[in-house]
Amino acid sequence: MKISNAHLRSFRNHNETAFEFGTRVNVLLGENGQGKTNALEALSFLCLTKSFYASADATVMQQHGTFFEIKSVLLSDKGKEFHVRVTYDDEKKTKKFTINGADVEKFSSVIGMFPVVILSPENSSITFGSPADRRKFVDLVISQSSKSYVENAMEYRRIVRQRNMILSEAKGKDCSSEIAPWNEMLITYGSRIIGKRNQFLSEFAPYIAQTYLDIVDERETPKIEYAPSISIKPDSSLEEIAAAMEQKLAKKKNDELRFQTTLVGPHRDEIIFSLNGMSLKHFASQGQHKTFLVALKVAEFFFLKERCNETPIFLLDDVFSELDEYRSRKLLSLAESLGQIFITTTSEKIFGGAEWNNERRKFFIKSGEVAQEPVTA
Amino acid sequence: MIFTSETIEQLIEEFASLPSIGRKTAQRLAMHVLKMPREEVVKFSKTLIDVKDKVRYCTVCFNITESDPCSICASQKRNRKIICVVEEPNDVIAVEKTHEFNGLYHVLGGALSPLDGIGPEDLKVRELLTRLSDDVQEIILALNPNVEGETTTLYLAKLLKPLSVKVTRIARGLPIGSDLEFADEATLTRALEGRVAL
Repeated sequence: MKISNAHLRSFRNHNETAFEFGTRVNVLLGENGQGKTNALEALSFLCLTKSFYASADATVMQQHGTFFEIKSVLLSDKGKEFHVRVTYDDEKKTKKFTINGADVEKFSSVIGMFPVVILSPENSSITFGSPADRRKFVDLVISQSSKSYVENAMEYRRIVRQRNMILSEAKGKDCSSEIAPWNEMLITYGSRIIGKRNQFLSEFAPYIAQTYLDIVDERETPKIEYAPSISIKPDSSLEEIAAAMEQKLAKKKNDELRFQTTLVGPHRDEIIFSLNGMSLKHFASQGQHKTFLVALKVAEFFFLKERCNETPIFLLDDVFSELDEYRSRKLLSLAESLGQIFITTTSEKIFGGAEWNNERRKFFIKSGEVAQEPVTA
Repeated sequence: MIFTSETIEQLIEEFASLPSIGRKTAQRLAMHVLKMPREEVVKFSKTLIDVKDKVRYCTVCFNITESDPCSICASQKRNRKIICVVEEPNDVIAVEKTHEFNGLYHVLGGALSPLDGIGPEDLKVRELLTRLSDDVQEIILALNPNVEGETTTLYLAKLLKPLSVKVTRIARGLPIGSDLEFADEATLTRALEGRVAL
């Protein structure tokens, strides 16, 4: 996949900005707060139908604005053109997504069509943060490679909310008959998610191992372990997972009434990262965390490339500011070998001596506008 | 206020309060009413009031009706051994349009949804159970294929099965006349799960 061009209107601080992108490397240069990341955010909107930063669509509108629009032409590996347009109208609170002029009815159907991998400072929560951050990472990768997963996950979330409502209304009293059908739903939809995550993590393991070999000099062995709230084996069938969930639900019945919330299911899953058998969260250095994250993202790239049959777009948001020059150069040369990449950075130093042409372009961004000439010499 | 007439403004507000009507459409409708002949407006408003005065819920199946029991429940031509359970009166119309179902209906008045405060006692479930005594052989559950509809199906199935009545649910699958390649994955997955032997 390649993004040929993009046209942003009233998007964050971009009043009207047009980009004609290079086919391989695109560098968005500029000082802090000028709108570099906003441009990347717009690109992520095209691929994921939402922002990777903001949760609400309205927050990416220009201040005091009433709408925003992103228009773009994307080109598949096989050369098929996709004219994509996203608009949001704040008065009607409606988002519209069209591909080649046709309205997209289900936004979830777009996810995975234009695969994207994003590496941004916020991602550090994947290795540092809570289990929810790791689940979110895993879910986004699976979502882009399996559409039924997205819908199943949305429905599961609703089931948990409905079930929690019963538990909180019960105020500790028995509600067995009322909750029984919701248990069955929780098990059906939840076991599908656990099964999919289980399968994904075992398939993803060789990718992360290979990436580590490619980017790390020292011999470090990474491992990703799935630790769901129920005990399962890497090859457990859906029926076995469902049975394990049913057992655990029965066991946790009183606890659930006491805490008034659903305690069993994939929304309680943990995913454990480790290096040489040591938990990353508890024992790794800052540098190891960063390397692990980069490896995860590069592994994600290769995984999606194979699963989607399409080269993902790689967005790197301000990644060099946290790495030393050696690591930065290494990451850059690796990223450049992948596919079309988009990089935001405050300093051009790392690209010193690079040629700029149709393949490699740089854009100077100042106050939400693209300047052709360097703003500061 | 944009308009010089308070009454027009009031009418726009009334239209806009209806579902799926926005402010612009409301404005257009209000202007249209202004141009309508008086007798048509009177007829229209009378129909609105008649709907409130005459239309009731059938005390047997809880479909909307003007005579109680409703024409379907009262009909001697219908198969009284099969009851199709649906969520809303609209669903009765949808099934009737097929002309393929000759049994009776039971309108639940919604689906289980704790978030909206709807539990079993808010649906016409007890009323459904009392109908089982009259020689009913099959209950078809035709609820919406969403989380709430599915849960309600499971709930009713559990309730009905011990009562020696055949309980079925409508199949989930692909829309007729569409192409397999364009079916969304979730629908196709369910269709595969619900495959039948030939």
